[in-house]
Amino acid sequence: MSLKVAVFILLIFPSVVVNAQSCCSGGIPLSNNIGLATLDKGSIQIGLFYDYNNLNTLNTETEMLDDNSRLRITHSVLLNLSYSVSNRFSVEGLFTWVNQRRKISQFGNENLDQTSGIGDAVLLARYNFPNAIGEHSAINIGVGAKIPLGSSTKKNKGGITLNPDLQPGSNTWDLIYWSSFSKSFDFRPSLTFSSRFIYRSTGKNHSYIGGGSYEFGDELQALISFSDQFFVFKTIATPSLSVKFRTVKRDETNGFELENTGGNWVSIVPNFGIQISPTIVFSTKVELPIYRNVNGTQLTPTYRITSGVLFVIAPRKKGLILNERL
Amino acid sequence: MKNYIFYLGILLLFLIACGGGDDDVYSPTPTDPNNTDDTIPDDTPDDTGSSDWLIPVSEVVDGGPGKDGIPSIDTPKFVSVSDSDLSFLKESDLVVGVLNNGLARAYPHPILDWHEAVNDKLNDKPVLVSYCPLTGTAFGWKGIAGGNSSTFGVSGLLYNANLILYDRNTDSHWSQLGLECVNGPLIRDVPELIDVVETNWGTWKALYPNSEVLSIDTGFSRSYGNYPYGNYKTDHEFFIFSVSPRNNSLPNKERVYAIINDGKSKVYQFEKFKNGRIVVENFNGTTYLIVGDENIINSFVLESTTVDLSFEYVFNNSEAFFKDNEGNKWSVFGTAIEGPRAGQVLKSTKSVVSYWFAIAAFYPSPEIY
Repeated sequence: MSLKVAVFILLIFPSVVVNAQSCCSGGIPLSNNIGLATLDKGSIQIGLFYDYNNLNTLNTETEMLDDNSRLRITHSVLLNLSYSVSNRFSVEGLFTWVNQRRKISQFGNENLDQTSGIGDAVLLARYNFPNAIGEHSAINIGVGAKIPLGSSTKKNKGGITLNPDLQPGSNTWDLIYWSSFSKSFDFRPSLTFSSRFIYRSTGKNHSYIGGGSYEFGDELQALISFSDQFFVFKTIATPSLSVKFRTVKRDETNGFELENTGGNWVSIVPNFGIQISPTIVFSTKVELPIYRNVNGTQLTPTYRITSGVLFVIAPRKKGLILNERL
Repeated sequence: MKNYIFYLGILLLFLIACGGGDDDVYSPTPTDPNNTDDTIPDDTPDDTGSSDWLIPVSEVVDGGPGKDGIPSIDTPKFVSVSDSDLSFLKESDLVVGVLNNGLARAYPHPILDWHEAVNDKLNDKPVLVSYCPLTGTAFGWKGIAGGNSSTFGVSGLLYNANLILYDRNTDSHWSQLGLECVNGPLIRDVPELIDVVETNWGTWKALYPNSEVLSIDTGFSRSYGNYPYGNYKTDHEFFIFSVSPRNNSLPNKERVYAIINDGKSKVYQFEKFKNGRIVVENFNGTTYLIVGDENIINSFVLESTTVDLSFEYVFNNSEAFFKDNEGNKWSVFGTAIEGPRAGQVLKSTKSVVSYWFAIAAFYPSPEIY
């Protein structure tokens, strides 16, 4: 893999931001842990990531309540597979394994409910428009679907079906609309500004408990990021900082909105990526909410950590369709 | 060498990321490949008691917050009716009221909505006041489980949208509106009821101006002025959890007063008691006295010593709620507060104020007065 490819991956990689699918933001990071770079025709990318999502903050709208008795944790293992069908068109899949936990520490006791298993998956098709709005810029658009591979009927040991929020899957097909924009600067080519928008239009689970329906709220995410590169120990390091806005509509059951679901969040996402071999990039990032405005009273994200590696198998022909000057 | 240091650092970062949270406390429990019904294996450290249920376990649902995720109030504090602490209470807000040896206490719905269970003591005896916001049902129970004093907590489970409590003595599960232990070591036990009434804050203050009132100083941080379920209590078609059977004889969320007798129920609509009403009638082999108005209803069993009395509604913003032809005045709790029978207490009933759908689901085909 050429240096150009490695640099490009490092540039784009930090802007991949994980997110939740859940009424309380505790679910599997699906909807935008996708969006790997579009590389040369025939390139294959394999990403393996671990995501830890900690929700230990109880809010009423913007007010943080003095109560940390509820802890909601999601451990996710994420496998990204991407193939560039052409220099402009690529397809990507995201496959997950998840462990969801709800722990209540109250009155000197701890009560844990948890589920584990294969989660839902995402397939995304993307198209790239290089230099669409000037030199050293790129626009990507994509459309995809969330595929209900995960179980939505996990039970506890007493045989009681757990809440949708704790299920590995939602038993719905969701539509995902994805777009990104990036631009490098003449005065410092390694400095890149990028933005990303993801909209997830959720489907309805018609086999919810008791024969009813359940639908998670539609979700919009918008991110802006700045990233740069430096040489560290003779390899390329890419720190970046993103600001993420996320808004989620209320969940619905049987067509009625649920009060304590949905809301608006703003987070900052510092990220550090580094090339550990010509074909492997490691990155780790932390998502820290700085503004929360939930509907009603909800457990809301406290922090999130994502780490992983990305392997690139490039065809012999080297080069990039984006940021060719890199 | 530099490369080795570098890779070691990367590995360390990854381990830090993977090691967050409570992994030291609980190990992930892999799904048993033989477990085809998606049930978490038995070594999962959660606790829902034994597998025998008196109610269909397939209809018991996880409400979302988890066991004790809705925390009971175990050290309740009380304030006077005039305390500024109660400024969040509107005259129309509902309260659950108890009276014990002259001590009147009110438990406002806006607090109960967030806690559902108050483990209190009346004259040093443990009592549980529970309230289910989704079925609109409140009960007073003696705080006893298995013959011993016990507090109760919110299990996080629901049956027919109704609260399932658990006792902290044995971890048995109790159906609130079913009035029975439905799972666990005390299965089939029934709670000992304490007479409670449900009315609005304005009426309660008029009845018992010296009442103590549950304080918002609960030890928990909650927004007590906000109803947490949106328009649930006013939208007759809005159900968060499924209920069966359904009965369309009345609007689903209409609050009705229900008498329960041997698995059967008879309901009384508040609108039919407007401006005060007395009803004496037989239901399921028992003679009942039902007294009330559009804001409050209570009932009593008429026994041989009281069945021949004639009663009249007299409530006029004081404790006296009805009187009889002997000149006795009775409180809404059925205590003779004046007259030749002063101190006598009418026998209380198994009864509750409930949303119509709930009483019709637990006690199918109820009679309607």
